[in-house]
Amino acid sequence: MKKEAQLFKSLADETRLRILWLLMAKEELCVCDIMGVLGITQSKASRHLRYLYHLGWVTDRREAVWMNYRLSVAPGSPEDKQLKLLADILSSRPEAQALKDRLEQWLAAKGQSKEGAASEGAAACQCS
Amino acid sequence: MRAEARFFKSLADETRLKILWLLLEGGELCVCDVIGALGITQSKASRHLRYLYHLGWVTDRREGLLMNYRLCVPPGSPGEKQLKLLTEMFDSLPEAQALRAHLHEWLGKKRQPKVRDAPEEKEVSSIEPSL
Repeated sequence: MKKEAQLFKSLADETRLRILWLLMAKEELCVCDIMGVLGITQSKASRHLRYLYHLGWVTDRREAVWMNYRLSVAPGSPEDKQLKLLADILSSRPEAQALKDRLEQWLAAKGQSKEGAASEGAAACQCS
Repeated sequence: MRAEARFFKSLADETRLKILWLLLEGGELCVCDVIGALGITQSKASRHLRYLYHLGWVTDRREGLLMNYRLCVPPGSPGEKQLKLLTEMFDSLPEAQALRAHLHEWLGKKRQPKVRDAPEEKEVSSIEPSL
């Protein structure tokens, strides 16, 4: 049951829970989005994202200097069911709702600031 | 989300997962059952059971010298949903099945010698940890 203990260990951290919650709200996010919405340093964001990557929760995609992350759990897998339960638990938390609102605001502001830019990725690189 | 992180931390330990699994199977268990089925020391068993108690996973009932524990998650609560998912995860795990068999073996052995004396209620308290 070591594997299951490890699965729960990956959820036993407030920042990682927040990151997963953000990734459940938006399909793909760049490290700078996580930094901006959670107000954490790049080193902290990257560290937790790499942790989640190594545990199989997320997959990455490089775009210029930034890494983008998205959830990568297989449908029907224990991890998938665990994420659904997490969403169920968090959806009634005002703190989680506030975080979702902040993500929307952040992405909207990012969209505005890059008006005229070629792609979202290009803006993502400049947003911090 | 601190509460949720703590919630998951309580599951982020192999021994605690095993204890929860035993309690899902055995209903109420005494500390000595956990010791016997998992082959761990009393100090380790008690420590983890107290941890689970403080996080609200289990409730206790003293009987003589020994403490008995049972799950106490309210129906429909996150804890209950989590335990259901945990059961689903473990149902297909050979290690968890072996543990379940081990528990029943242990409980069977425990009951055997005292079938002829004392009523069942008293039996649990008279069992001493065999370690």
